[in-house]
Amino acid sequence: MTDPLESIDFAGDLDVALEFLKRTRWELRALRKVHVFRDRLRVFDVNGDYFEIRGIGYADADVVPLLRAVNTAFDPHTIQVPTDAEYKEFFTGRRHAWAEDRVM
Amino acid sequence: MIATPHAGPSLNEASDKDPFNNNCYGTTVDRAYKMVSLPVLDVNDFNERIIRGYEEGYGESQLPADLSVARSLIPAGTASLRDFSYIAPEIPEYIPANCTGCMDCVTECPDTAILGKVLGEDEWEAKLQAIPEADREMYREQWSKTKKYYDGGKKKAGGIGGMFQIIIDPSKCKGCAECVTVCDDDALKMVAKTDDVMLKARKSHRIFKDIGPSNDKYISGNLLIDMMLKEQTLIYTGGAGSCAGCGEGTALRMMCAAVGSKVGEDWGIVAATGCNTVYTSTYPYNPYLVPWTNSLFENAPTYAIGVRMRWDQMGWQKKPLWIVGGDGAMYDIGFQALSRMFASGMNIKVLVLDTQVYSNTGGQASTASFTGQNTKMSVHGSVFGGKQERRKEIAQIAMMHPRTYVAQTTAAHINHFYKSVLGAMEFDGPAIVACYTTCQPEHGVADNMAGEQARLAVDTRAFPMLIYDPRAGDTIKTRLSLMGNPNMKGDWFVNPKTNEEVTFIDFARSEGRFAKHFDKDGNPSQTLLAAKQDRLENWRLLQELAGLR
Repeated sequence: MTDPLESIDFAGDLDVALEFLKRTRWELRALRKVHVFRDRLRVFDVNGDYFEIRGIGYADADVVPLLRAVNTAFDPHTIQVPTDAEYKEFFTGRRHAWAEDRVM
Repeated sequence: MIATPHAGPSLNEASDKDPFNNNCYGTTVDRAYKMVSLPVLDVNDFNERIIRGYEEGYGESQLPADLSVARSLIPAGTASLRDFSYIAPEIPEYIPANCTGCMDCVTECPDTAILGKVLGEDEWEAKLQAIPEADREMYREQWSKTKKYYDGGKKKAGGIGGMFQIIIDPSKCKGCAECVTVCDDDALKMVAKTDDVMLKARKSHRIFKDIGPSNDKYISGNLLIDMMLKEQTLIYTGGAGSCAGCGEGTALRMMCAAVGSKVGEDWGIVAATGCNTVYTSTYPYNPYLVPWTNSLFENAPTYAIGVRMRWDQMGWQKKPLWIVGGDGAMYDIGFQALSRMFASGMNIKVLVLDTQVYSNTGGQASTASFTGQNTKMSVHGSVFGGKQERRKEIAQIAMMHPRTYVAQTTAAHINHFYKSVLGAMEFDGPAIVACYTTCQPEHGVADNMAGEQARLAVDTRAFPMLIYDPRAGDTIKTRLSLMGNPNMKGDWFVNPKTNEEVTFIDFARSEGRFAKHFDKDGNPSQTLLAAKQDRLENWRLLQELAGLR
């Protein structure tokens, strides 16, 4: 695993972390997946490049808005369940379906 | 029709607009136009006059409505002349040091835009010497010494290892990044299309075609994945007008490759109207190198029966005939014709491109749509949450027809797909291969997700894989194999890394077409829970039929 393109330490300010993730849209290519560790969060693009937020993991309540900010397909009810695995992996490939807001 | 004299080079040659002749016939090596002996179709005239009209932007307004245009006949492989290099901001770049030669990228590309080649090290070195010195090192660096072809090749090719290359055809790539996504070895990455990047890509692709075909000594006949190293399997050329990352394109290419590996270009296709007919016959571009015809939405199997009968009368009993259609054509509008074809016992094969929706006409529900799916005919609103009916299963219905070979598969499960198609080919009667195909705009997934979502569809029992071969025994359970599905004896797949069940709800959570079924806390709707139960019941039925319950 290479080093992250960019990383920050989460100090409890959710807005700072969300602002950091907004940069992924500009500095990464199309997002592909998220790895949520016990103590960090990594957002990957199709090239395998990633941004990392240290100090927040799947057990923290604030991880939910961060995952939603990058369009992660995850279950908010089970995200905090402990796992023996090194990390939990989720795709970020969901998009708006064509004409989903059509009105009949 | 006499071709309008044109002073410049042929469209199949380099020109000011296409200086490296990337848009030309032949996929791994150049070839001449594919001629036909039909008095009503002058291939040279068509390619030089009509395609030139479209390439230069005056085709629709200035070409006369003469017999050649009015008949709507299109020669084989004209999509090779189409340029898509302008439509995406990014293109894949190959990293030879990381490549293992797995061929996943070549196989999964929906646009025949990423190609592989293997040459003996000695012939490779000799051919490099023929390249102008200024480009030689640039091109040499794009080859890889893989364990598979180099080390393995040494053992079977007189001690000479095979050099392997992946190349991107910049004129056909639509930038979907499917190849990068399926590469487990970090041997591809997306890069911005700068002038330098495109110059190198165009030049490299030209040298790749000039350097000659792969050396067959290094291609294992036992490895289905190596199929696409052979030019004869690349029957679906790049240049089709499908969306970036289209799951159907990959399935069509793979079907063509499997059939082509057995009979070359000596077979034909009857297509049912749908997305597949639109992007493979967007006048004047045709990606097929085999005879292809389309009549209507509902009658492809009936039409194919007629073609089969005539071919048999002509002594062409051995010539394979395939029908291609979507779920709308095969589950719904052409279902009666399909059933009749099965009952006929005729030697006709069917590939169903199942997107679970009428993708081409704007996303109406079909009987293949999942419960809860938000479609144009089952809009998710305050009263009804998407489609209320259950999904129809064409595989089970087909199995109950007399002596019919049935497979259900996805293009992401490469071996299973190829085995399904080759099994259908070997079967001396009607056969159907129903294939899950991701439709990015209708499913609401990213361009690079065709394979990932197809795998998830199988893992979550949304679309179980199966092969039902009437030759395998006298009972349903001996004929039906569910091999390839995870946890074949259990209800749901359990992810070994997380120990969590992976269900239809997880599949739905990953696609935009089900997004309205989740509340702000992520809870699924009652309709979606019913869809999950439906998928479980379908899976249990298959387990029961296969003798696993």
